[in-house]
Amino acid sequence: MVSTPRERKWQMVVDVDRCTGCQACVVACQAENNIPFNSESHFKQGRTFSWIRIERYWEGEFPDVKARFLPFLCQHCDNAPCEPVCPVFATYHNNEGLNVQVYNRCVGTRFCQNNCPYHARFFNYWEPVWPVQMRNSLNPDVTVRGRGIMEKCTFCVQRIRRAELDAKRQEREVRDGDFQPACAQACPTSALVFGDVKDPQSRIHEGLANKRRFRLREELGTEPNVVYLSKVDSEAKEAAGHA
Amino acid sequence: MPKALSRLLIGALVGLVVLGVIVFFVGNAWFGLPVGAQGPEQPIAFPHTVHAGSVESGGLGLDCTFCHRNVDKGAAATVPSVQQCMFCHSKVTGEGSTSPTALAEITKLRTAAEQGEPISWVRVHRLPDHVQFVHDVHIRYLMESPDVIVNSTPAIRQDGTVDAAQTCSTCHGQVATMAKVKQVRALKMGDCVDCHRANNAPTDCAACHY
Repeated sequence: MVSTPRERKWQMVVDVDRCTGCQACVVACQAENNIPFNSESHFKQGRTFSWIRIERYWEGEFPDVKARFLPFLCQHCDNAPCEPVCPVFATYHNNEGLNVQVYNRCVGTRFCQNNCPYHARFFNYWEPVWPVQMRNSLNPDVTVRGRGIMEKCTFCVQRIRRAELDAKRQEREVRDGDFQPACAQACPTSALVFGDVKDPQSRIHEGLANKRRFRLREELGTEPNVVYLSKVDSEAKEAAGHA
Repeated sequence: MPKALSRLLIGALVGLVVLGVIVFFVGNAWFGLPVGAQGPEQPIAFPHTVHAGSVESGGLGLDCTFCHRNVDKGAAATVPSVQQCMFCHSKVTGEGSTSPTALAEITKLRTAAEQGEPISWVRVHRLPDHVQFVHDVHIRYLMESPDVIVNSTPAIRQDGTVDAAQTCSTCHGQVATMAKVKQVRALKMGDCVDCHRANNAPTDCAACHY
């Protein structure tokens, strides 16, 4: 009998106040998940890949304008709009709260991309190509997606599985801090915190209990599993007369 | 016979043959072993019978884990490096062997070692890239559940467990009796899932596909 692991639900807290827009998470994600390079022509066609991206926007009127950054990734919605539209069940919700994309099932209808309100899904329009020097630099734990299928942020499920296997080898449960997704690991200001909400010891609870919490496009009822903490800006508040 | 009728007959015959060919290929792909799994020719005719075969049958009776060292420690079973072969074969040259091919084959290995070249073994068991298989957890499970092991009668220890090397036959068959290793099990997804269901292992897609 295989021991059934403890029930899990993975979530991420993104503290927007800590984000400096440095893009380290973006680079780490591209490297970890075998994401092909985005060339200029890809950008021009609007066919780039970035499982996580930094959305930059401006707040205020010139000259008192401020740059704001918002890390954007698959929200792993509990009530995901992408899932019911897939005709081949290539995307579904698993028992760990992950929105899973099964590459070998996907036939590339792109319905899920169409139905995603966060633009978090990306379609492989071409066979992925890397420079020859990078031939041995791909991550062996992550499938290289071929042409014609969808892909998106997996919450680094390969690291979750690896942590589970390591825990099993040491005959214990997965502990908080055993692993981090590539983006959270790379973040120099620890703006991204990943954890299991079913684990009372997890650091994620600190963020989840924060008053500044909000979720993206909550009005749609998608129940995202990525929680954001809003920007703290005393100057802006004073300027707006809230002091 | 009217011309139209004979044409119809010929057409039907051709159609039947084409259908037969299609059915054969689809059926073969569905029920048969993957293409190329029927034991490829290796650069060195390595006899598992001599190395892993039982002492009674004239082999050395080495455990699988003696050469495939990583198999119970990590994801990959690993094929031993030339250096590892040379642990023994620096002394075992094949001279005076009863086998007529031993000297020639071992010389290939020793030449490779001298030149610092690896040996391009032809892979026999290959899972698709979108499947993540980890050897050691499967072996650990089989070590504790010897009744799941098939294709061999494992030597069960006092505490009801078996040695790691006793579990391999479940997927790989009796490699110790194969002069040329070939795949014995389909190792397609149905094969994996049947076993996972029977043993209450996870059947979540993301358990193996990511």
